[in-house]
Amino acid sequence: MSNSLKQALDLSLFWEYRAILLQGLVVNALVFLCAALLALSAGLGAALLRVNRFFPTRLIGTLHVELFRNAPDYIMLVWVHFVLPLLIGIMIKRRVEFHPFVSAVIALGLVYSGYFAETFRAGIEAIPRGNLDAARGFGMSERLILWRIMLPQVVRRMLPEALNQFVSLFKATTIVSLIAVPDLMYAVSMVTQQEMRPLPLYTGAALTYFLIILIFATGVRAFSERWRRKILE
Amino acid sequence: MSTIPRIRVAEVHKRFGPLEVLRGVSFDVHRGHVVSVIGASGSGKSTLLRCVNYLERPNAGEIYLEGEPLGSRLDTSGRRRPRSLAEINRLRRELGVVFQQYNLWPHMTVLGNVVEAPIRVRKLPRSEAIAIGEECLRRVQLIDKASEYPARLSGGQQQRAAIARALAMRPKAMLFDEPTSSLDPELTDEVLGVMRELAADGTTMIVVTHEMAFAREVSDRVIFLHDCVIEEEGPPEVLFEAATSERLRKFLAKYRR
Repeated sequence: MSNSLKQALDLSLFWEYRAILLQGLVVNALVFLCAALLALSAGLGAALLRVNRFFPTRLIGTLHVELFRNAPDYIMLVWVHFVLPLLIGIMIKRRVEFHPFVSAVIALGLVYSGYFAETFRAGIEAIPRGNLDAARGFGMSERLILWRIMLPQVVRRMLPEALNQFVSLFKATTIVSLIAVPDLMYAVSMVTQQEMRPLPLYTGAALTYFLIILIFATGVRAFSERWRRKILE
Repeated sequence: MSTIPRIRVAEVHKRFGPLEVLRGVSFDVHRGHVVSVIGASGSGKSTLLRCVNYLERPNAGEIYLEGEPLGSRLDTSGRRRPRSLAEINRLRRELGVVFQQYNLWPHMTVLGNVVEAPIRVRKLPRSEAIAIGEECLRRVQLIDKASEYPARLSGGQQQRAAIARALAMRPKAMLFDEPTSSLDPELTDEVLGVMRELAADGTTMIVVTHEMAFAREVSDRVIFLHDCVIEEEGPPEVLFEAATSERLRKFLAKYRR
């Protein structure tokens, strides 16, 4: 084994700095959770606009999806952090600055809301019409139908695809160090500057992400499959 | 018999774009009566039933539930105003619907399906709704499946669960939209059996059906729909034995073969 490869695979340095690195990982998790929450709610909103009967509402939903789904995460992040505050500042005639964490959540949340909207829409459209007719026939309000009849079915139907998107979103949180959000990658680059040994640190980070995603996705998949199978023949 | 019919269908017209489906259909259903609607596929039977509870809004005409118009009301100045969706929902809950495709909610257990509307729409306390729900499931002989999910039931069991779900709302009338058309013949009987019992118990019912023997046996009145209008109507013994309409005779002949 070459020396540099040996060095790359020696994770003792990574372990030595585990306290700092773990703090970074917690930030990743927080960015992920907040962005996922934003992506899910904005995505559901956009999906409901897209399945609406009225053309103007459908158009707004479609614009939302196309705009955010086609925007690269990286560029959105920079744009939301540096350009959006300027625009808002001009509008309200006051200097505006976003905390990097807030920018990261908004940028990733919006990008992934475009994906989630399409997943939600597919789930909504897969519900047999008669299912909703039955609810209407009993005099349920549209709000009740959404919460009690549609969403529980949509969530079960969309889980496998949503899980893939959650994995992508979690991976996307690794770029937030770009605007100085102190995540794991940020911590790795800080330690690298001090130790000048980037290879074991990046290898350790890669392994950490890989293991977290593997465990999380396998767990969720196993749990959700049993739950889903109950309703789908 | 009270003079106000439970359900009055008055001059109902319905069209989908250029396609006319109902052209001035009128009939009354009195309390405790069973009215069957027969006719060829595409004659507008299901649309008629969907108009009765405003799942389809009639283009003209009106449905009255115990004298109260479903689609409009008089405002304080005596003018007729279309009802809001919330008002229509309040009247709709008085009509139990059973569909051809059962339309049970797959994410809820059988009992969950049955108690959902009583709890959420009628606002009954959970315990009371469950007591009513279990009583309805016993009535359709499905109490042993109360905690199963619909996907694990046969078609006949699903349809009986759907009937229990509609009964649990204690409706003023039951609407059946071809309730046995998706079932194998051996499963048809168990559903028709439940419906026979309901009829015998004095449930007010409108039944859209292809089951001629059933229509003849349980109906107080049979309506033959053809080409968007009522071609002939009357008591079953007259309609099935002494039809005056040539079209009805031809239609019935197909079922005798």
